[in-house]
Amino acid sequence: MSFDVLFSQFMSGIARAALLFLVASGLSLTFGVLRVLNFAHGSLYMLGAFLSYSIWKFLLMPVLGFYLAAIIAALIMGAVGILIEYVLLRRLYARGWPEQLLATYAIVLIIMDLVKWAWGGEFLSIPRPKPFTGAVLLFGFPFPSYNFFVILLGLGLLVFLWWLIYKTRFGDIIRAAAHDREMVSALGIPIPWLFTWIFVLGAFIAGLSGAVTAPFGSVALGMDIEIIIECFAVVVIGGMGSLPGTLLGSFIVGEVYAFGIMLKPELAIAFIFMVMAVVLIIRPWGIFGRPER
Amino acid sequence: MKKIAILSVLVFVFSIVSVSMVMAQAKKAAPASTKEPIKLGVIYDFVGGCHMYSETGVKGIKIALDEINAKGGILGRKLDFIVRDTEGKADVAVRETKDLILREKVHFLIGPCSSGMGLAMQVIHSEYKVLRISAIANTEAMTVDKFSPYFVQVVPNTYMEAIAATRYLHKKVPTAKKFCTIAPDYEFGRREEAAFEEEIKRLVPGVEILYQAWPKLGEKDFTAFITAIMAKKPDAVHSSLFGGDLVSFTKQAAPYGFFQSVPFIALYDFPVLLALGPDAPEGTFGFGRGCFFMDPNPKMMEFVEKFRKFTGTYPDAWAVQNYDAIYLLKAAIEKAKTIETEAVIKAIEGMPFEGLRQKFTIRPLDHMGTVPCYQGTIAKDPNYPFKIWKDITRVPGEQVIRPEASVREIWKKTGVTR
Repeated sequence: MSFDVLFSQFMSGIARAALLFLVASGLSLTFGVLRVLNFAHGSLYMLGAFLSYSIWKFLLMPVLGFYLAAIIAALIMGAVGILIEYVLLRRLYARGWPEQLLATYAIVLIIMDLVKWAWGGEFLSIPRPKPFTGAVLLFGFPFPSYNFFVILLGLGLLVFLWWLIYKTRFGDIIRAAAHDREMVSALGIPIPWLFTWIFVLGAFIAGLSGAVTAPFGSVALGMDIEIIIECFAVVVIGGMGSLPGTLLGSFIVGEVYAFGIMLKPELAIAFIFMVMAVVLIIRPWGIFGRPER
Repeated sequence: MKKIAILSVLVFVFSIVSVSMVMAQAKKAAPASTKEPIKLGVIYDFVGGCHMYSETGVKGIKIALDEINAKGGILGRKLDFIVRDTEGKADVAVRETKDLILREKVHFLIGPCSSGMGLAMQVIHSEYKVLRISAIANTEAMTVDKFSPYFVQVVPNTYMEAIAATRYLHKKVPTAKKFCTIAPDYEFGRREEAAFEEEIKRLVPGVEILYQAWPKLGEKDFTAFITAIMAKKPDAVHSSLFGGDLVSFTKQAAPYGFFQSVPFIALYDFPVLLALGPDAPEGTFGFGRGCFFMDPNPKMMEFVEKFRKFTGTYPDAWAVQNYDAIYLLKAAIEKAKTIETEAVIKAIEGMPFEGLRQKFTIRPLDHMGTVPCYQGTIAKDPNYPFKIWKDITRVPGEQVIRPEASVREIWKKTGVTR
């Protein structure tokens, strides 16, 4: 197999990893601090995609339309995040995981029916925005420039989250709260307020990544469940609640899938879950995760 | 322990008794008063990629029923219909089918969208001896491998559709010897690609199939499949991707220059072309099941006007096939002069029928309609605000239907006797 073939397959994997990282980072962040396994994260992502489509349609702006729509959709999802956290999640922090999963699954069903009712089952699609419509040549092999945009956005988000968590006071509080929330609370920091903002950030990221997916493929029902399953694989492999873990998990899932497709397409998805199974056996808390206290 | 054993025996006996009572009731209910409406159970999958097909399918049914009822119904009886949702789950499909038959006491069934659901339902309604017509789902297994006399097909099945599409692809790129395929990884995709392989081996001696990609149904990111296919440098690619998956694939493949470098055929029907808008790749080949631009005969265009008045949009093949299914049923009931299932089945076998897709008949052997398959090349048209096809081929079903001898051969293996 020649170098350019391997390289182009590798780049496909990177593009997929970037997309996965965008979505999974929000999921991992919420879990890391709130200790809530938010099954509805994929639904917020789907809603973000549908919203960005409608806003893009409404704006009718040839160049800026998509970018504006993506930001507005993400902001709306942030607001939806406040609602969900305030009305539902806040009552569940003290409960066990089964109840949290059931409650967030209820949100999945509600959003699914909401989307069905509001947008119907049509396949919607946004054309790729300028200037990312074409492709660039990498070692003589074309690579879609929109994929570059997604990779850049993923890197941007990585840097932003790293800065937020490790370089700011807010980040210090987040890390402290993830470690010992009673102690942080005893220091006079309002934990409910902190948790609301973390969830809002997670919902914002979900909405943004949904909007970014819209020009990539089609916006359709079912994209919620599809993404959440892959995101779970990412965070289980990388380690729940760990930023470097999410990055590595996305990379592994993206590349295993890309090369699986090339070598044995029938088993491409199975390969991902085989890796997950191996990680679960050797390090049940994930590569970068911490064992549960 | 003993108590539990006795209890479970009691529960078992009780359930057998109640089931047989319900079944007996269902049979008794058949000869109802002759002025009561004829009830149709419409069962579709309002979920994922099937949601939209199901929705327009039901609109096609509604238009046909309104027309028929306005003219006094069939045999002086009005038509009534109940719509049910399988949610894309085989167990729900089975439950709803049973409920429609036992509780709602429908006389005929129409549906579903997914081939997987269709196979699950077929066992049930055949057991209760209720006739079902399929107007979207099209796996060949329903008429061949798992044949049931209580099933009629008005959609070109996977075999016919893929054979016709393969011939079109071969006609367009006669020199192609090396192929790749990409298809959704479930019943429908597997069947289509198997038929493609069979036909391309007949047409091109020494053909090579370099690589077969099986993305899951509902895949959003085809990038890795696209680069893997292009790395093999095929002469042409055959695909049975459809709906939202095909929209995603097309948008992701375009920046790679895929459509300029590889001749490609897939299910580029009206909803896909509409969703793709300016992104629809001109010069790429499509196959479909018969909508207005594929078969613009007067009857079809009259239906287009009715549909647009009713919904404000153009009808797709799914609406057309459902409309045809209702009129086929009407013709059969009128010929049989009763709604009694066995008589209607007898009437439908070999009966000449003229619908929106022109003439076809239901082959008596396996109840497969000799419905046409359509292929074309994506192109702009000044008459429409979206891209349609040019160089359209209409392949009558008789030319691509599986020969009777071949059907009987498969039946020998699967244990169907007829």
